[in-house]
Amino acid sequence: PEPAAGEAPCLDMGELRSLACDALLQESFYQNKKRPFLYRDQDHTPGPFLTQLVSTLAASLCGHNALLAASSLDLKPEVHYYWHHGEEVVVHGHRKGRVDPVRFQIDDKPHLQIRVPKQLPEIVPLESDLGDVPVIDHKPSKLPLFKKQYENKVFIGSKVADPCCYGHTQFHLIPDKLNRKRFMRANLEDQIEVVYRANGIASLFAWTAAQAMYQGFWNEADVTRPFVSQAVVTDGKYFAFFCYQLNTLALTVETIQNNPRKNICWGTDSKPLYDVVENGSVKGFNDEVLLQLVHFLLNRPKEL
Amino acid sequence: MFSWFVFQGVRQAQWLTKTKLVEGLPPSVLSIVDDPAHQLEDYEERVKRVISHARLWDTTEAIPKREHYCPVLFEDLIHLCRLMSVKYPSLTKRMLARNYKIAATWERESILLQVRGLNGILMNSVAPIPPVASKEEILATEEHVLETFYPISPTIDLQEVNVYQELNSTGFRDGYPYSHPHTLFFLESANIRPNRFRPEQLRAKMLMFAFGNALAKAKVLYGNDPKVLEQPIVVQSVGTDGQLFQFMVFQLNTTDLVSGDGIKNLVWIDSDQELYEKAQCISEVKKRVVTKPAGIYGFQPDTFKKFLALYLHGTV
Repeated sequence: PEPAAGEAPCLDMGELRSLACDALLQESFYQNKKRPFLYRDQDHTPGPFLTQLVSTLAASLCGHNALLAASSLDLKPEVHYYWHHGEEVVVHGHRKGRVDPVRFQIDDKPHLQIRVPKQLPEIVPLESDLGDVPVIDHKPSKLPLFKKQYENKVFIGSKVADPCCYGHTQFHLIPDKLNRKRFMRANLEDQIEVVYRANGIASLFAWTAAQAMYQGFWNEADVTRPFVSQAVVTDGKYFAFFCYQLNTLALTVETIQNNPRKNICWGTDSKPLYDVVENGSVKGFNDEVLLQLVHFLLNRPKEL
Repeated sequence: MFSWFVFQGVRQAQWLTKTKLVEGLPPSVLSIVDDPAHQLEDYEERVKRVISHARLWDTTEAIPKREHYCPVLFEDLIHLCRLMSVKYPSLTKRMLARNYKIAATWERESILLQVRGLNGILMNSVAPIPPVASKEEILATEEHVLETFYPISPTIDLQEVNVYQELNSTGFRDGYPYSHPHTLFFLESANIRPNRFRPEQLRAKMLMFAFGNALAKAKVLYGNDPKVLEQPIVVQSVGTDGQLFQFMVFQLNTTDLVSGDGIKNLVWIDSDQELYEKAQCISEVKKRVVTKPAGIYGFQPDTFKKFLALYLHGTV
């Protein structure tokens, strides 16, 4: 379930729709391209289409949103976050038997991201409790997840000196190995949404937590204001939208004990932006998805 | 793909494309540079921030490499230019094409030449750039004599290949709404110097590809017969290595290229414009005292103004 985001002051939907269709047609039809590389279908059409779509939409909407006019658009930036959560006993080695925190590192590479100098407004108050967090007993390295950690670092896409230190929206591309057709062939349709959701939650948590660290908060000094960011996860045709509110960084064993706060992520299911591209025209264009994307881009603090 | 060390640089490219050179940018672009109405709000601050982002902040390492910062600088500058579409809504009718392939063939005094392949990033627009030179200037090129390099052959250092297909293709299918090539961007972003084109070679490459794009478009619009064009075609070109910028405006006046007489094409070149002098990533410390703090030094606002003017050219 998603909260209502922003008003739409006299937007020219026809104009925006034609911009989106032009971007799509250029990348999938008009430009002469060779065949895509093996398993790299997303670099052939969806990737360039997403880049074109976001850059043209952001440029045409910056008149309505002053925050976009001061934003920084990163192409294929890096986002890293490192944290401790839970405990484990060291199994081998000279430190055997000692208790260590479990270390997690996310190294993300979104396709596109927009960073802004002012923070997005909170969606719900800091202390809200909207449900319970599932508890998993075994270590993540059993899955296997978070096993290979090359370097533990925290990075939002730019160094601390950059004035655009808050995140606005990230855009993620689903790699070709996880596309819908493979799931359908393996009779795993119910897992399709899981991919989108997992991507949204993990990436947004890493991004918002890294932003909070850039502002000086950490697990002993928890955040005093919520950090909000948005993300769009897509495979080029189906779009899923997510918003994330970071309410707490205190996840280590000592600090989580009396911490009632929870981080919250809202998200939609993936919906198609269009049906098919045929002979130089886009069939079945879905205005709702475009409108949702536009609302995301127009999100800004109330004072602006 | 053309990759060559052009011996005579731009002069050789001029002979190959039957072009007359004019130093500096044309008056129509300079008038946009000088007009305060066509400027971005507090652009100096924003461009400095863009340079700092590309050269200092955009990496987890201490110093970003040229392969990394050159494209980032370009993307950020284009992002700034795009924000002008608030003032000039027709700027949204522009589309960037990356990884597109051009093919153009022509004959110059019994030598068959062609320009092919991936070249740079092309910005297309719905409307063409109006001709930059007046009719008198175009007619005056008839008297101009192209420089030859006897005894050096004009095709020195060009790759000799067997041509099986004389191709001419703009890189896009028919019916493409953004059908006019507006500006070509070249990013010399190789890390080591031998892999990068020197400024003179970069200018020659820019001229050859701007010519190639204009010629391919002319053949699509006016057919394959060599003729003097009623409506000259203008294609601009910007080349950079992340610090030094080369600006070029090319006007194709004729596709009659076999002989060296008659109307010539025109090119305006503004070379070696520094955007900034030095980017200090780590502060210089001598004897425990900071002598030069980290930051961007020697910022030249005019270079960005020219970049923006070339972007806005044809719309304002």
